[in-house]
Amino acid sequence: MAALRDGDFAALQILLKAPSKDAVRQLCQECFSSPPAALGPLAQRACPGLAVSNEEAEQLVSALHNLTRHVVYRGLTRAEDILCLFPENFHQNLKNLLTKIILENISVWRNEAQASQISLPRLVDLDWRVDIKTSSDSIARMAVPTCLLQLKIQEDAALCGNNPVVSALTVELSKETLDTMLEGLGRIRDQLSAVANK
Amino acid sequence: AADKIRLIPQDFFAELCEQIIQHLNNKIPGINTAELCQRIQTSGVDISIGDLAKIANTLSFLFSTAARNNLSTEELITTLGSGGSTLPKHAVQVIRHVWNEQGKAVAVSEDAGSMATVGQFVDMKWKLGVAMSSDTCRSLKYPYVTVTLAVADSSGQITDKSFEMTIPQFKNFLRQFKEMASVLETV
Repeated sequence: MAALRDGDFAALQILLKAPSKDAVRQLCQECFSSPPAALGPLAQRACPGLAVSNEEAEQLVSALHNLTRHVVYRGLTRAEDILCLFPENFHQNLKNLLTKIILENISVWRNEAQASQISLPRLVDLDWRVDIKTSSDSIARMAVPTCLLQLKIQEDAALCGNNPVVSALTVELSKETLDTMLEGLGRIRDQLSAVANK
Repeated sequence: AADKIRLIPQDFFAELCEQIIQHLNNKIPGINTAELCQRIQTSGVDISIGDLAKIANTLSFLFSTAARNNLSTEELITTLGSGGSTLPKHAVQVIRHVWNEQGKAVAVSEDAGSMATVGQFVDMKWKLGVAMSSDTCRSLKYPYVTVTLAVADSSGQITDKSFEMTIPQFKNFLRQFKEMASVLETV
């Protein structure tokens, strides 16, 4: 969990060596999105651009990761709240730049955090088709409408890392079973409205 | 499969055969292998769900083939005996009894639904929840819908599949189903 440590702000000042504001912006985004385990490689990639040692790059990347994640965790949305996090003697311009970058990205980052939290497998796609069964080896003529549904379900992203496993579930529904399903879904919708009105 | 059948106590074996026959008769939508397996395990018998599923599959095939060929109880028992591997006596007894009572009914029922090569929808359970907080966001208030679909595969065995949807996804889900229902009406 993102807790800000004392050394973090000192490390952040290494950003003063960054070639441009865009470089800082990009690094902030990469540091937020990167899981803790991938920070090492990220630091190695950032090294040359900053002209610092590997160790300093690691400290910086870790500090940026902690800062951005901390802001998202606390749900800070106002400039004042973010500015307060910095110690008194922190470089003014850098502080303002970082605050600006964070504010620009905060809602995207919040969505990213929500999307990557632990959950059951998620529905990613739904396809369907209505068929009519006209005959079979046991019944010569019939006209039975039937529904074929394919659900694409993605396993928990946190468990799969970069290779999410998507499984397809194909289900057949008759008119009766479809009505059962609709009834259930209707009740969910009613509950949602009831909760929304509270 | 015969040696695994040996492990199953007679009353559970009878229950399994009952479910299989009732499913073939279209009286129940599917066979609750998972639930039955859990009860068998709780009673102290060490059998995996995979083994039980194979046994259910084999029995289902046995009964449906027997129905298609209009086998009498004696003919069925003879076929079992000539199969090579010997079934335990109590299993044969159960099969004999179940076939005597309900074998005829299996031959008679013809249904478009029995051609299933895809899973058959059995039931849906749902839950509406709100995630309050997580390690990434202290104050989330993120609503979501969890759905568990019970689906019977081609051998009739029921498995559960659970997944989550966001609220917009759920609304789309509902809309798609209403669409399907209206197409089914007009077709």
